[in-house]
Amino acid sequence: MKLLKPTWVNHNGKPIFSVDIHPDGTKFATGGQGQDSGKVVIWSMAPVLKEEDEKNENIPKMLCQMDNHLACVNCVRWSNNGVYLASGGDDKLIMVWKRAAYIGPSTVFGSSSKLANVEQWRCVSILRSHSGDVMDVAWSPHDAWLASCSVDNTVVIWNAVKFPEILATLKGHSGLVKGLTWDPVGKYIASQADDRSLKVWRTMDWQLETSITKPFDECGGTTHVLRLSWSPDGHYLVSAHAMNNSGPTAQIIERDGWKTNMDFVGHRKAVTVVKFNPKIFKKKQKNGSSTKPSCPYCCCAVGSKDRSLSVWLTCLKRPLVVIHELFDKSIMDISWTLNGLGILVCSMDGSVAFLDFSQDELGDPLSEEEKSNIHQSTYGKSLAIMTEAQLSTTIIENPEMLKYQQRQQQQQMEQKNAVIREAAGSAATAPKVTSMVNGESLEDIRKNLLKKQVETRTADGRRRITPLCIAQLDTGDFSTAFFNSIPISGSLAGSIMSSQSNQQLMSLDSNATNSFGTSKPSLEPLAASIKPTDDAINKDGVNATSASAATPVSSSVLTTPSKIEPMKAFDSRFTERSKATSGTSAVINTNQTAIDRLKDPNLIKENKPKDILESSSDSDEKIPIAKPLALPKRKLDLEGEAVEKKKKGRPRKDSRLVPVTLTVQSPAALASDKDATCISAPALALKLPTPIPQKSFTLQVSSDPSMYIEVENEMTTVGGSKLSRLKCNREGKEWETVLTSRILTAAGSCDVVSVACEKRTLSVFSACGRRLLPPIVLHSPVSALHCTGSYVMVLTTIATLSVWDVHKQSVVVKDESLQTILAGSDTTVSQILLTQHGIPVMSLSDGKAYCFNPSLSTWNLVSDKQDSLAQCADYRNSLPSQEAMLCSGPLAIIQGRTSNSGRQAARLFSMPHLVQQETTLAYLENQIASALTLQSSHEYRHWLLIYARYLVNEGFEYRLRELCKDLLGPVHYSAGSQWESTVVGLRKRELLKELLPVIGQNLRFQRLFTEYQEQLDILRDK
Amino acid sequence: MAKVQVNNVVVLDNPSPFYNPFQFEITFECIEDLSEDLEWKIIYVGSAESEQFDQVLDSVLVGPVPAGRHMFVFQADAPNPGLIPDADAVGVTVVLITCTYRGQEFIRVGYYVNNEYTETELRENPPVKPDFSKLQRNILASNPRVTRFHINWEDNTEKLEDAESSNPNLQSLLSTDALPSASKGWSTSENSLNVMLESHMDCA
Repeated sequence: MKLLKPTWVNHNGKPIFSVDIHPDGTKFATGGQGQDSGKVVIWSMAPVLKEEDEKNENIPKMLCQMDNHLACVNCVRWSNNGVYLASGGDDKLIMVWKRAAYIGPSTVFGSSSKLANVEQWRCVSILRSHSGDVMDVAWSPHDAWLASCSVDNTVVIWNAVKFPEILATLKGHSGLVKGLTWDPVGKYIASQADDRSLKVWRTMDWQLETSITKPFDECGGTTHVLRLSWSPDGHYLVSAHAMNNSGPTAQIIERDGWKTNMDFVGHRKAVTVVKFNPKIFKKKQKNGSSTKPSCPYCCCAVGSKDRSLSVWLTCLKRPLVVIHELFDKSIMDISWTLNGLGILVCSMDGSVAFLDFSQDELGDPLSEEEKSNIHQSTYGKSLAIMTEAQLSTTIIENPEMLKYQQRQQQQQMEQKNAVIREAAGSAATAPKVTSMVNGESLEDIRKNLLKKQVETRTADGRRRITPLCIAQLDTGDFSTAFFNSIPISGSLAGSIMSSQSNQQLMSLDSNATNSFGTSKPSLEPLAASIKPTDDAINKDGVNATSASAATPVSSSVLTTPSKIEPMKAFDSRFTERSKATSGTSAVINTNQTAIDRLKDPNLIKENKPKDILESSSDSDEKIPIAKPLALPKRKLDLEGEAVEKKKKGRPRKDSRLVPVTLTVQSPAALASDKDATCISAPALALKLPTPIPQKSFTLQVSSDPSMYIEVENEMTTVGGSKLSRLKCNREGKEWETVLTSRILTAAGSCDVVSVACEKRTLSVFSACGRRLLPPIVLHSPVSALHCTGSYVMVLTTIATLSVWDVHKQSVVVKDESLQTILAGSDTTVSQILLTQHGIPVMSLSDGKAYCFNPSLSTWNLVSDKQDSLAQCADYRNSLPSQEAMLCSGPLAIIQGRTSNSGRQAARLFSMPHLVQQETTLAYLENQIASALTLQSSHEYRHWLLIYARYLVNEGFEYRLRELCKDLLGPVHYSAGSQWESTVVGLRKRELLKELLPVIGQNLRFQRLFTEYQEQLDILRDK
Repeated sequence: MAKVQVNNVVVLDNPSPFYNPFQFEITFECIEDLSEDLEWKIIYVGSAESEQFDQVLDSVLVGPVPAGRHMFVFQADAPNPGLIPDADAVGVTVVLITCTYRGQEFIRVGYYVNNEYTETELRENPPVKPDFSKLQRNILASNPRVTRFHINWEDNTEKLEDAESSNPNLQSLLSTDALPSASKGWSTSENSLNVMLESHMDCA
């Protein structure tokens, strides 16, 4: 074993509370107290591991430091995939960091320190919920959840897929919760608190599984942290500070029955941290000795307040090693390297120690495969379903496959090289910045920025500048700024360059550059504290007459002799806030108005649904209409007030609200009416409400292109008959026409505009206002009207549905009754939709959605909010990385954007893998079928690819083969073939071509891959 | 944590004649969309002796500010020489750039400015009544002094108030924010120092 204390890992003497090694082993993070805030630092691992790297000045030791926490950081933890870093601190916050890969090194503006941040880590989420200091955070296996515990006595489970969503708050501890650990199988999470208890919670329902108190009865709440740990095989949970016969121990708790029969004894003071080695070991097989296949064992490090560290193997009765006097103060955190041979320990004294073990000392680590076998045999399922290691052992049977694999590798290499070249290129051309923003080089932009930037005047005459956005940030998981990498690095180079040129300009001052930003010892006696300021002035070269340190400075740009006193006064002016007291009162005032402003819209929001609720419970038909109508008006009034209230009214998007509120009214009225009717008369006599004639109304058809319809009823009287006017405005172009009866409702698309009138007639106009059909007479009044493309959909008051294609002048759906889907329940239609292909979709109030399939004349269930399949399905690892967000279409609209990945994750561990597979398959197949019925080709392709990827990942050859077979069709033409070459407008063989690379990713399917690749080649050659 | 970080400030048109407008090219980064505008101010310190000679050269609103990196040029007219004490016209003074969000100042960037005559003769025998048209302004651009303040960035003021009342720690933290003093790192040491000095000067 080797021991090293890298002195350069420090927080300037301030305590380090937490340390964690990145899963890839190249870096580690420390968290603790900073100068005036909490501090998180990311360090490079290489200088710790290798002496030559430590001495090599070209290898940076510190990669990034973040001072964003307002108070001491108690815990830093990398996610298992290494993408995120979570930090929790005394400021009650948890910050989640992600590396902004596209931004190169940069310094903090205004700080003179030469320590540039080599890597840029950006806070992507701030998690607020705790009302006290956050003591520990922990990522679950698979990174589905993040848990945090706090001195507010709670544990919070965050949805790591969708920050800042909270999945559960575990309440039950009656003292400060100071440590957390996940069961490696993901079934439990354990927490230890000052209330002398250790609690185990189930992840299935987030309820308490057990509370263990006995070993902690004698404990006093004196440790800063209680970091407990779960063994990698899942069998043992080891607590921090426990007591046995008034001696401090680390209690071993068996998973089986939560028995507490064993403990680690020997430390003289309380155990603060326990950390299991991530590896499971087995005895090193020595030649000659006839060792029986020994039991695998785990390895565990224990740190204590007595400043010593012990390392234990579960197969030994005594510790493997104990190191005394490692630090001057209590040990605070321990982290193992992923290979299990190294360990970093940090202490309250602000230093870090590294221990390096050899395999001889610890044993042979089991491979991931063996580890997953242990999990498989113990818990019936494996965590690693298909590891890469397993794949690499497969033999490639076919040259085509080999070529394909090689090609893939080559492509990856090329991509990598390209990136490197790019980086090198940008570095080389840095003096001539060639980066482009919107096709313009950044230098050009900067030259003309003043002229080009948009400057307006606000209502009160103030200048308002719209800043030029030179880079977007990747705040989400899916980097929107992915392709912006070049401009950003360039912009940075640009700004560095400009600062450099400034530097040259003032080059004579160069030795004075670090006079300000540097931290000065704050504890210096006051009498002596005048001196540093004098020095600073000297360095600034202001006082040329001063002979002390000013020899190089005397020639500086600023040579005027001047008084010293004012300079000191200036110093204060830099930092002091002018008129601090009056300033704060002003702040309060503005905040007050801000609150007022905020409150108003909230009030409206609160009122609105309530009103509708009231109206819906009211069976009288007139009221519901009147109320929603009155509402927008009130809202506008209030909005007006709000505007007046703004002290400095800035142009906000108030105007936008007007069309929105108006469009809202009709569905609201409809929905509330339907509620009333359906409750009073369910089943047979379905009756939907009629829109009540209004004097005039406006309807926004689309915002891009901007198009709206205005209706004015009975605006003129010509020869005894009253005329109504229909006006349509499309991107400023207007047309209008008149009708003889009052218009009840209108709808439009980019192709057609249709209106329903009082005498059960329906008129259809082209986009330019030409009448396309003589008025259609309907058998009953229109309840709702909808247009999409050239399709017009009518829902009548007796709940029948018709869809016509106006351009083709044909009927798509003829008088279909909604009885099938509405009958026998109190459900109502909550939303209607017409797809681009003229497929009507009805979303019902019970969360189900049906579409009508015109070719089969059937209603098909396409979405169900309560669908348990959707909640159980887990296909995240089959999602295409970039496309995932891009899939939009009718299916996505109907099913809603609400990602149920959180719920998926919550179920991830609670059911057998086999069931999970089945539900996922069933769900994906449902999705494909629904997309097909909706004739949404884009979504069909999207789900088909996910499905195929899932089949490939999980190894379902049978279904995969059937899928391929259908997509390929008959290779040789035969007359009797029923095979269609396209599906929803997509060519099946093209789809197959897209699928094959996916199939090729799993070597298990190499025969399938080859088979279909060959057949496609044959077809191509024909 | 601060939602807005100032990445860089480039002093344009420097050095320049006294009457030329100030131009700063400011690059900043915002981690979340801001619901309100940022307000930037350029303050010219006419005399170190007293704040009453401070001139706010201009203030602009900058917005809308979505998440991302942004830049703009802040141009403001030269200070009104009439408001500068004659004795302070020539020599070193300070220009401050401040930024506030929702009325709270979160960053202050200060530069030393040296005003001097370019002509040797004037330099040696400066007129009693300063001739501003002959003065050259030189901003010590390489040496910005940046002070950052913790402010409340959240829209939800009410929630924060709750949090404050429930936890005295944060409150004390915020109150130190409002009046930067102890526990502020380097800015503090200087700050307390200067507060000291000023009181000292008052006595003298």
